[in-house]
Amino acid sequence: MNDTKNNDLSQQMIDYIAREVIRRPGVEITEDTPLVSSGIIDSLALVNILLQLEDVMGMRIPASKVRPKDMDTVALMLATGRRMGKPRK
Amino acid sequence: MTNQIYHMVTILLAVLLLWVVAWNLRSVRTRQGLLLLASYLFYSTWGIEFLAVLITSSLINFGLGALLRRRPMIAYLWLGIGCNLLFLGFFKYLPPILGSPWTVSWEPDFLRYVVMPVGISFWTFQALSYLFDVYREEEINPSLLEFCLYMAFWPTVLSGPVSRLPDMLPQFRKTPVFSRDNLSIGALRIIQGLFMKLILAQLLGTGLTTGGGITAGFDQMRSGWGGVDVWLLAMGFGLQLFLDFAGYSHLVIGTARLFGIDVTENFSRPFLSATPSIFWTRWHMSLSFWIRDYVFVPLAAARRERWWPYLVFVISMTLFGLWHAAKLTFICWGFYHGLLLVAHRLGQQAKRQFGIKPPNFIGFLLAWAATFASISLGWIFFRANDLHEAFTMFRTVLSPAAYQHLAMPSSFYVLIPSLLVAYFAYEGLRTLLSRLQLRTVEVVSPAPPMMLRQGGLESSLTVLAAELCEFFAQRMWWWLTPVMFVLTLFASLAISNQSSVLTVTPFMYAIF
Repeated sequence: MNDTKNNDLSQQMIDYIAREVIRRPGVEITEDTPLVSSGIIDSLALVNILLQLEDVMGMRIPASKVRPKDMDTVALMLATGRRMGKPRK
Repeated sequence: MTNQIYHMVTILLAVLLLWVVAWNLRSVRTRQGLLLLASYLFYSTWGIEFLAVLITSSLINFGLGALLRRRPMIAYLWLGIGCNLLFLGFFKYLPPILGSPWTVSWEPDFLRYVVMPVGISFWTFQALSYLFDVYREEEINPSLLEFCLYMAFWPTVLSGPVSRLPDMLPQFRKTPVFSRDNLSIGALRIIQGLFMKLILAQLLGTGLTTGGGITAGFDQMRSGWGGVDVWLLAMGFGLQLFLDFAGYSHLVIGTARLFGIDVTENFSRPFLSATPSIFWTRWHMSLSFWIRDYVFVPLAAARRERWWPYLVFVISMTLFGLWHAAKLTFICWGFYHGLLLVAHRLGQQAKRQFGIKPPNFIGFLLAWAATFASISLGWIFFRANDLHEAFTMFRTVLSPAAYQHLAMPSSFYVLIPSLLVAYFAYEGLRTLLSRLQLRTVEVVSPAPPMMLRQGGLESSLTVLAAELCEFFAQRMWWWLTPVMFVLTLFASLAISNQSSVLTVTPFMYAIF
């Protein structure tokens, strides 16, 4: 059950990044594609992805606690959300 | 000039001595102690009182870090930010404010003797990044000795690059292993840095003839430029600043490398950027990534309105400008770059909305030209002596009539375009070589000997091309040396022919 939910969250993030950030047909990313360190996403995209992560996980993630390396791959983003996310008020 | 040379020779001898001793120490703690002692001695040559400020800041930040590690509370982080900004404000921003015409006369006399410790902006930002990282629960636990070494590490203490403790700490702790790679790469980067800084940047500043350089164009003219003059001054100053600061960064990175320590890079071919946002991932990278990680991202993610990140772009870049000095010109420069970043994002949105898709190469060329031109114009704010001068230059650029006359000496129109063309030719050649190298390595790597035996003439030529590319790419500094030598000779002859240029322009970023 947990694996299914995790895969679903991961797919939602991958779809969002491909659709809204990369926007190039034919470019595929996986859970482990480096995004920040490879320069695929810039500072504004990083912020948008962080906000999308909050929506997808239904949590509030304190941005002041997040390091760019915590957002380097989709897998790391989800792990960061689980570690730092707090229930929304 | 003689004093500067004496200072440089003394430092070089001290570095040599330190280098020999440091590599012969097996104990990590003793080595750290020796490097800290050397760093403090080096820093104290600029003023013993500066050293006292640096040590005080190190102790306070170490204490604040310990407090934050025990309880990572936002209140402690704000306390740390407040302390550091107070420190920076007192030493860096107060003296120029007191010197301004608006100053009232009630402030105590001793404030007039406050002098800014060299490099304070750089090491204060290093201290702040440490506090942010501890607050973010990064696993870093430096000893007092290690933290003081991080703050005062002598290659970076004066003008960066702005390092981060998670990158430096493991390197301070590893057992030194002598490597010929470190020695050769370090030495090459030092030579490259010296050439960029002492020859090329200097030449751009002073010019080939009296009054024919960037310095005279900004400091002696003050008005009466033609449109072409302003464009060349702006582009030339951008190149001069790049050669000076990137050259200095090469020196720092090369020197640290001699001691087996990798310092973060500061520049990566910034003038080839095709958008302002790419430019800021390639220019003064250690500071721009600092602003991104500790100011932009936390602030931009704080609200969800569409306009908010754009406002944060402007705020972050204005802070970037203010970091340089409490001068309206720097604030305008930062604000201008904030607007450029916003304009770029809005332009991207418009392009998507209207489905504008220029052909790849032409699109890149237009984007590059627009980026280079707008970034060059921004240097006017950075270099102008005051806002009045900056706006006079902008008015000149926008006035068609101003393009009908030239006001600088004729050598100026030879020097600036030549060095700009030379820079882009060098970068183009470098890119071409690395691409060729990559392509030929991809083709050849599966089985080069087999190809040679079975593939006939075409394959043999590919292998030969691959080897030639690799040879030239890896020894770029060797085959470029003769070119440099000729240029150096040319520059030396030009400089020795005039007495007015014998004053060496100081390192530009040392004032920040």
